[in-house]
Amino acid sequence: MKRPDVNAPGLWTRRVLLQRALHLGAMGVATPLAINLAAIGEAAAFDNTDYKALVCIFLYGGNDYANTVVPYDATNYALYHQIRAGAVGENQAGIALARAALEPTALTPNNGQVLTDNLQYALAPQLTGLKSIWDAGRLAVQLNVGPLVQPTTLAQYQSTNRVANPLPPKLFSHNDQQSVWQSNGTEGSTVGWGGKLGDIAMSSNATNSLLTCISASGNAVFVAGRDALQYQVSPGGAVRINALNTPLRDALNAIITRQSSHVLENEYAIVTRRSMDMEGVVNTALSGVNPTTPFGTGNGLANQLKIVARLIGARATLGMRRQVFFVSLGGFDNHNLLMQDHPNLMTRVNEAMSAFYAATVELGVAEKVTEFTASDFGRTLSSNADGSDHGWGSHHFVMGGAVNGGRFYGTAPHVSIQTDDQVGQGRLLPSTSVDEFAATLARWFGCNAGELPGILPNVGNFTNTDLGFV
Amino acid sequence: MRPIVVSRPSIFPTRVADHRLFARTRAPKVPWYAKRGGLVTERENADESAEDSAGAGAGAGAGAGVAVALSALTLAACGGGGGSSTPPPVQNPPPVVPPVVPPPVTITDAEAARFLLQAQFAVTDTDLAAVKANGYAAWLTTNYNAAPGQTGVAWLDSRGHNSITSEQRYFWPQFGDFMIWNQLLAGPDQMRKRFAFALSEFFVVSLSPIDGFYPPYVIAAYWDVLCANAFGNFRTLLEAITLNAGMGFFLNTKGNLKEDANGRQPDENYAREVMQLFTIGLYELNADGTQRLDANNNPIETYGQSDITNLARVFTGYDWDYTGNVNTTVAWHPYPVPNTRFATNPMRFIPGNHSNLAATFLGTTIPANTPGPEALRIALDRLFNHANTGPFFARQMIQRLVTSNPSPAYVGRVAAAFADNGSGVRGDMKAVWTAILNDTEARTLPAASDTLSGKLREPVVRLVQWARTVGITSSNGAYEIYDLSGSDTSLGQSPLRSPSVFNFFRPGYVPPNTAIAAAGKQAPEFQLLNETTTAGYINFMQGMTRNGYYSFDVNPSYTALLTIAHDVPAVIAWLNLRLTANQLSATTLAVLQATLSAFNVTAGSAENLKLDMLATACFLILCSPEYLVQK
Repeated sequence: MKRPDVNAPGLWTRRVLLQRALHLGAMGVATPLAINLAAIGEAAAFDNTDYKALVCIFLYGGNDYANTVVPYDATNYALYHQIRAGAVGENQAGIALARAALEPTALTPNNGQVLTDNLQYALAPQLTGLKSIWDAGRLAVQLNVGPLVQPTTLAQYQSTNRVANPLPPKLFSHNDQQSVWQSNGTEGSTVGWGGKLGDIAMSSNATNSLLTCISASGNAVFVAGRDALQYQVSPGGAVRINALNTPLRDALNAIITRQSSHVLENEYAIVTRRSMDMEGVVNTALSGVNPTTPFGTGNGLANQLKIVARLIGARATLGMRRQVFFVSLGGFDNHNLLMQDHPNLMTRVNEAMSAFYAATVELGVAEKVTEFTASDFGRTLSSNADGSDHGWGSHHFVMGGAVNGGRFYGTAPHVSIQTDDQVGQGRLLPSTSVDEFAATLARWFGCNAGELPGILPNVGNFTNTDLGFV
Repeated sequence: MRPIVVSRPSIFPTRVADHRLFARTRAPKVPWYAKRGGLVTERENADESAEDSAGAGAGAGAGAGVAVALSALTLAACGGGGGSSTPPPVQNPPPVVPPVVPPPVTITDAEAARFLLQAQFAVTDTDLAAVKANGYAAWLTTNYNAAPGQTGVAWLDSRGHNSITSEQRYFWPQFGDFMIWNQLLAGPDQMRKRFAFALSEFFVVSLSPIDGFYPPYVIAAYWDVLCANAFGNFRTLLEAITLNAGMGFFLNTKGNLKEDANGRQPDENYAREVMQLFTIGLYELNADGTQRLDANNNPIETYGQSDITNLARVFTGYDWDYTGNVNTTVAWHPYPVPNTRFATNPMRFIPGNHSNLAATFLGTTIPANTPGPEALRIALDRLFNHANTGPFFARQMIQRLVTSNPSPAYVGRVAAAFADNGSGVRGDMKAVWTAILNDTEARTLPAASDTLSGKLREPVVRLVQWARTVGITSSNGAYEIYDLSGSDTSLGQSPLRSPSVFNFFRPGYVPPNTAIAAAGKQAPEFQLLNETTTAGYINFMQGMTRNGYYSFDVNPSYTALLTIAHDVPAVIAWLNLRLTANQLSATTLAVLQATLSAFNVTAGSAENLKLDMLATACFLILCSPEYLVQK
């Protein structure tokens, strides 16, 4: 095999990965080095001059899957209604939506697929924009996805042998499951799988590698890498320190950027320096990007996705080739008032995601950007009177010009609180793992099979690392 | 250094009324219970629960009574530190007085200031003198015995925020923000308020999701519970918080129903969070707060889903208590407007809604058909007496007041005080605060070589410290400061507005890609720091230090500083002591000296010039990492 030329710019990424392959042993994954050596000979996706962006839309609190992707055919709707309303019927009652309200958003897969129990689904009534994107074949629904260490049956879940049947840590706990979804580790984890994608991609973004991983929504471990830092941007762009444009400039600059032997002081100043260094670069690049697609008003998620769209529009100016973005919306922990609050959340999600897709079309990058939803967990199917409680598996969306949409992926769960695909009260036992879901996205982003274990330590426990939705 | 142009305060933004801020922050919503067909009426408030309400509500009243008795005793006993005169005979057993540690030979100004900045928000001349004269323990005792300030609810009443007019302000949440800013900025008992603020980051309730009638009263009543019990007992506080109307709304104990034949289950939210966040945490702890490990060196979980599902049964049958409610019929909506009693009354117990199933959790079984209040007592006792609770609570309170990375030994000493205050009482809050603040690890200035010492001051504490230090006034008493959570144009944090029950930052947060992470240390407050918030904070303080808050109501007075504004070294020394306990470096002091001297302030200068200079001094210090990190 030809020895790689370490000076070839494109192969630098592969060399970096080789060095990281030594870390794989420390992560508990035994991956023969030979596989990674073989990877060198392949065309490296990150060496292309094309652009790709991955956008994680995190729904904080645990989105209620059953009122997002809703059983719609008569038989399964009846089961849904009985469980969620405690009675037979097709009216809105308890935490069951009215069947008539679901008609406009009823989904017909474009490949004739047949789901479990002949299930037909409808989206929540507010998701009309997403329905249109489904019809256009650019929105896919991933059914029953959640964190797993390995494929797990109900019997394995119920067993007490956690060595033979390992489970993800701290199931049903908000902060831990947010961290597990984003980073394969419980709260306190410092590196997310989006950040690991950024680690690999950084060198493709030679000009502004700091902008590889960007959050528009506050600190989130998803976009923290080992080397790739998460750069924060506000919906209005980078924030300029105003006093630096006054006669106080020199004094303030001296004070806020001063290095210190005290580590906490020094780390604070590092963040400030970084903020100052990037502000001009980012805002100048953004100033020329103003998509006309409307993003609504007063919708925090839409505001975040708008700045993401504009940053993607500025990619050439900033010299970006691969980027990972993070946005979020909170309020999904609907233990009560589900029927009052969840529709409002769905309205915001619909407005924000529909606008974002339209903006990527306007900017001519639709097929270069893939967005996906994620959440702490799904919720119970059964009711606590006016809400649902913490669950596990959930249904999520993948959207973008490269998505093989208009169809479902994964296994539809029975509409039941007794079958063996749920662990009680309709908390879904995931049939697709986050690792498989993430691996599919990572492959589209440009990773090859050999790089996946470095990003998702348990991915080797699953057979299908390309679910095919993108 | 170029001289600063003195003709106008050019560096400070001209204050412009931001009319967004005057608008109601939330459109009025029809409260959910109105949609359901009206409010609970007086008729439905059966007296069976009156006893429980009275019992639960007595916590606050009893606390106040004890505080009065304590202060009387202190006046009768010795007034200084170290004295041992015999207290006069009393009929009841004397309340516990924390052991008096004799003060060191001298306490310097810097040491006294450093102590005060851990124990409360800001340094005052009175407190500085008292600490130096009487020592730390005596100062704490004085403050434990000081009369509590006005409650949040009383302040809201005094401002007429319970009025019912066609403007429908009873739906507006922003008076809750005004209330807490008033409490933090103006209350005379700032040590109590500092501890209550720390407690609000542990027993978290947030104003942000509260809607319906009188959100300010709902959050104020919760805050008042924290204040009333800050010097009491953890067990009492735990129960008062559990039955608090605001907490009931926030974590769904309010209206929680037992299981039924159609598969409905009790809401599990409070059962989970009371264990995970308010008492025992996720993993078993040693007495020093370190994790216990099993034979395979793995952490040991404290509870599982079954514990939660069972414990949830205990928290069924509770709802808001409308005892004392008066409904007012109004012309502008078809449902009447209640008064604020539902927010201030502890929740009431409705036996018919309570699960009669047995509940087995944490190795304890509550038999089937146990009456609700008894089941609650057993459950809260079990959590209170769990070996985790002391170290779990102690470590986080140390993190809030002193340092992000206490030694296990330090945690162990504070946890020991929680377990036994020296007189056999478990959960004595005063013993905990005293153990935290009087510990050698808190009182010892970290060596320069300890480069990971201390903690990052959180934005709310920075703002309150500055305001109390230089003097702050509300021109009409409204304390009109809104939600400051905004990260790009505002402070980036607002009291009682945590984004979730998990607080603004996690106790175990480690900022990625930093030397802090490389050293294996935690830095919770760094979870708020990023490229956006660092700039937003600087911009916000630039305006605040000179012009006060945008609403024109709240302004700094700089009373004491104005008298020495002509003396730049004196100004710098005054601020260095009171803001940082003299922790500014020589380099920073030199920058300040040069920058402030360029204003050329004399005794006869116009007040505007003096204020420009003083605000610049504060602004520069408040932006300095040497100030921002409290050591």
